[in-house]
Amino acid sequence: MDKSLQEEFTQIVKFEPPLYKQRYQFVKDLVEKYKPKKVADLGCADCSLLWMLKFCSCIEVLAGLDICANVMKEKMHTLSPLPVDYLQPSERSLTVTLHHGSVAHKDPCMLGFDLVTCIELIEHLEESELEKFPEVVFGFMAPSIVVISTPNSEFNSLLPRVMLYRHPDHKFEWSQAQFQSWALETARCYDYSVEFTGVGHPPTGMEKVGFCTQIGVFIRKNPRTGESVQSEKPMEAVYKTVFKAVYPSLKDEKYLQNAVINEVIFTAQIIKHRLMSKREEYDDDPERKSKFQPSMDCFSDYLGKLVVEKNMEPFVSGNEVYIPLTTIFSFPKVNRLCGTFEKLCKLIAGKVTLSSDGSAVVFNIEHED
Amino acid sequence: PQHPQQLQQLQQLHVPPALAEEPGGYGRLRSCETPMQERRPEGLQVSSGLQDLSLRDRGGRRRDFHDLGVNTRQAMVHVQESKTGISGKIIKLTTNHFRLTSRPQWALYQYHVGYSPEMEARRLRSALLFQHEETIGKTHAFDGSILFLPKKLENKVTELFSRTRNGEDVKITVTLTNELPPTSPTCLQFYNIIFRRLLKMLNLQQIGRNYYNPSDPVSIPNHRLMVWLGFTSSILQYEENIMLCADVSHKVLRGETVLDTMHSLHSQVGEERFRDTCAKELIGLIVLTKYNNRTYRIDDIDWDNNPKSTFRKSDGTEMSFVEYYKKQYNIEISDWMQPVLISQMKRKRGNIQGSVALIPELCSLTGLTDKMRNDFNMMKDLAIHTRLPPEQRQRELGRLLNYIQKDDNVQKELRNWGLSFDYKSVSFTGRVVQGEKIFQSGTMFDYNPQFADWTKETRGVPLIRSVPMDSWLLIYTRRNYDVANTLLQSLFKVTPSMGIRMNRPNMIEVDDRTEAYLRVLQQRVTPDINIVFCILSSSRKDKYDAIKKYLCTDCPIPSQCVLARTLSKPQTIMTVATKIALQMNCKMGGELWSVEIPLKQVMIVGIDCYHDTISGKQSIAGFVASLNQTVTRWFSRCVVQSRGQELVDGIKACLQTALRNWSKWNKCLPSRIFVYRDGVGDGQLNTLVNYEVPQFLDCLKSIGTDYSPRLTVIVVKKRVGARFFAEIGGGLKNPPPGTVVDTVVTRPEWYDFFIVSQTVKNGCVAPTHYNVVYDTSQLKPDHVQRLTYKLCHMYYNWSGIIRVPAPCQYAHKLAFLVGQSIHREPNLMLSDRLYYL
Repeated sequence: MDKSLQEEFTQIVKFEPPLYKQRYQFVKDLVEKYKPKKVADLGCADCSLLWMLKFCSCIEVLAGLDICANVMKEKMHTLSPLPVDYLQPSERSLTVTLHHGSVAHKDPCMLGFDLVTCIELIEHLEESELEKFPEVVFGFMAPSIVVISTPNSEFNSLLPRVMLYRHPDHKFEWSQAQFQSWALETARCYDYSVEFTGVGHPPTGMEKVGFCTQIGVFIRKNPRTGESVQSEKPMEAVYKTVFKAVYPSLKDEKYLQNAVINEVIFTAQIIKHRLMSKREEYDDDPERKSKFQPSMDCFSDYLGKLVVEKNMEPFVSGNEVYIPLTTIFSFPKVNRLCGTFEKLCKLIAGKVTLSSDGSAVVFNIEHED
Repeated sequence: PQHPQQLQQLQQLHVPPALAEEPGGYGRLRSCETPMQERRPEGLQVSSGLQDLSLRDRGGRRRDFHDLGVNTRQAMVHVQESKTGISGKIIKLTTNHFRLTSRPQWALYQYHVGYSPEMEARRLRSALLFQHEETIGKTHAFDGSILFLPKKLENKVTELFSRTRNGEDVKITVTLTNELPPTSPTCLQFYNIIFRRLLKMLNLQQIGRNYYNPSDPVSIPNHRLMVWLGFTSSILQYEENIMLCADVSHKVLRGETVLDTMHSLHSQVGEERFRDTCAKELIGLIVLTKYNNRTYRIDDIDWDNNPKSTFRKSDGTEMSFVEYYKKQYNIEISDWMQPVLISQMKRKRGNIQGSVALIPELCSLTGLTDKMRNDFNMMKDLAIHTRLPPEQRQRELGRLLNYIQKDDNVQKELRNWGLSFDYKSVSFTGRVVQGEKIFQSGTMFDYNPQFADWTKETRGVPLIRSVPMDSWLLIYTRRNYDVANTLLQSLFKVTPSMGIRMNRPNMIEVDDRTEAYLRVLQQRVTPDINIVFCILSSSRKDKYDAIKKYLCTDCPIPSQCVLARTLSKPQTIMTVATKIALQMNCKMGGELWSVEIPLKQVMIVGIDCYHDTISGKQSIAGFVASLNQTVTRWFSRCVVQSRGQELVDGIKACLQTALRNWSKWNKCLPSRIFVYRDGVGDGQLNTLVNYEVPQFLDCLKSIGTDYSPRLTVIVVKKRVGARFFAEIGGGLKNPPPGTVVDTVVTRPEWYDFFIVSQTVKNGCVAPTHYNVVYDTSQLKPDHVQRLTYKLCHMYYNWSGIIRVPAPCQYAHKLAFLVGQSIHREPNLMLSDRLYYL
């Protein structure tokens, strides 16, 4: 649904920030509070909410569902990883998927979510769809939390340009009582608790009309009964996947290995560079000495002071520089990436030139200028 | 409607970028920065600037990147019939062009869409129109007022009725305004947009103008580099067909943030020079940000601000960068002391702020710095991945086409528009023109044309004209005393056979400080000195600049600077000394070799430009004109102009003095003038043709009423997408030097041709494109091509064939020296010598 239009006729009652933003912020706050890992947005439209949610670091799976594939496709590329996501893969993993389908149908891809959001969705549903909706969302998907927002018809009197409904596609708009009775009945039926709130405060003196957008937050009373519930259900896929993006993550061995190799070689280069400049200090160039000496200190500040034990010292032998892996491992960045020394050795095996006993990175300095 | 988050006036600082980047965002900043087709992969939108038939490339400011609509051939009667040459040996070639095919009678239909009552918002206009998809169809492109469809609606005027969400009835009138044939410029731009849409559908990432595949990067950990393979594409009307020219492109990305780079610079240069070094290293670089898919150019570094600084938002409230990024993207900025990067917005419209602020920690670097380019080891490591030999290059291209062919969505999109591609690249024949003979002091040399190099053949042979080194200075530091002596001995060994008479120099030892060098120059350089030789101990640019500046302007004497390191290897010293001797001789006005130039009374001009990217303040045009019949002596000048000034006024003055000098040397004025104009950017051809060429003509007219020489103006372009491969023995090889292409892949509206003149050791050879935009010479295309190729043999700093005609390379050298080191016009006393080599 197009938010721009809805906001257009809130001339008299003006919301700041705009109402749709307040709804999104509400969801974002909820995510911050409950830290769900898997979030689905039903009726995701142009993916604006999903796009906002992809920056929430707790989320590892994001899914969107909409009845209109075109509106999703319009902006779905904003959900793709950015070049920088490839350059600096993040710790968390993230998969974003968009499905084309109806909330009146069950599809196994919607199972296992922690949070399901239905922002300004239900008022677009035909009666038959609305009937099936609770069973699909609460009965089948059965996430820990469901958020449902919908217009509050009592507020419409403050929106003079609204004739019948706020949007021609709306099939109904409910009063607070109507929404609450539907929600309470649904919650009772599927064993959820529900709390009511909203966004878009009424003007002073008009408080009893309630929020412009009414929101119900449903929380499942009993923890999930386990995987068994899911396997009983029909497993036929009815949604069509229109988009899928897997974000590069360090949880993926391929990216981790790459990151470790990069960091190891880069760190080793730094140590080598430092070792070589130290050797050059014996040179007779006064300019060099004075320029380089203090800079080495800033440099180690940046990388974290090193605890260099005697057996960890890099050394030169013939045309080769040896930089012990233990030294490299003591650098915070490498350390953080690998966790254990064994993991470091495993990840770089065969990818970085090592000494014959595998304890040090070796560089040949013969051909260097 | 829709949170119009314009970036408004800031109190203290610039705006963080991409407030408007949110999906559904309507930010003006973005909508004018990027073309619409990006924002709407589905129903392509065309910017409202389409009325003048131009769509912008992302990030590009130029309106007509392919110089469409510059039709210069029609004015040249002698090439109306044919612009192809005939001489040379036929060679079978393939290229990286692919034919575009469309269904018969393909046309694009352009409609005007009007609303009654008038609707302002573009989104609303689209939404209302697309309520009628059953009428207009699923395939469409709409920018809010102009609609493109692949089909013709039943009636010329179609009236549609829609209703807005608040119940207002709107009449939409769709009027057919144009039926565009496949070759119309609008259609061509359209093809390009569609093709880019396809690349996006293939999940390629757009960086700058091109698309790259992020899923299979090559990492070069030694240098913290990552290389992404990608593609450039352009679709144009070529000689007989509309074709896609696709090429493999590599994007070098750096696995570090700008903040990382700043830290390592700090560790390298220390506090004192830190800011200067950052400015030098970082300004001009392109960065990617962590939170959106845009590239920015670093134009400045603001050291007085940091992430805690605040800016004013559109609603008037103040917010710090730290808060902003936290709130907007959940990004925590860890270093609160870092400075802020400033990027100027190139395009201004409405109340858009002129610049945006970026946080170094959130920016990744792309591309290479000059310093990295000078790092031989790094470039060598990179070349392994980026210099693909012909077969591999074609294979990579084949992979792209394979993706296109196999992707259902892509195929569907193509079908909807009624388009398809030939998946096999175009094959045709070119010609390899006869190799040129090299003359030196009455001797003629043959050399292996495959290598395009005659270093060996001409070694130890007397030069055409050698200038004696009777009196010269050799300046060195104490550390380099031995090096200086070795050099001197070697020079004494190599110069006699070249016919260069050389006395012992004045050997002067200096401290390794710029002032010390300058003091010696001031005290010891006298007008009778032939040349000053400086051995430098490091590649510190300031020393070099100071020496060059002094000896090019205040005290015009040729000079030669050489790094001690270059002279320190005993195994190469003789080769190095030979090269230096030749170079010095040219700088003093000597001549090395020549090729046969059959035209008489001809003056050849080369022009190239240098743009100072760092300060962005100056542009320099190098201007070089031949002085003699054999084209072995050159008159060189340059134009230094600050921003906003027109380059061409200065060039006109250069041409005037060049003609005066030519007539002094030859006792008459040239009857033919050839201008090789390099440094013309994409989209600037129109300006060149309509402004610069008339100025040349004006200048000639001003010489005298009875003077009307024949003039030929040729635009030289090194950076072209076309690649040619010779089909030899069942495989693909680089075409040999002298390969001329003037059919199939040239443009029908131009008198243009390609020449492959140089050879490359690895990778693919890049042909040079020549576009004859003005020609009253009455010469056959064959002769213009041959003359051009001959001139590629005449660059004295390389005893071989180069990519461009020598005058262009000389002009480039001169402009580069002035732009990099001297910053003002050198003394005219030097103008008859190649002092800038």
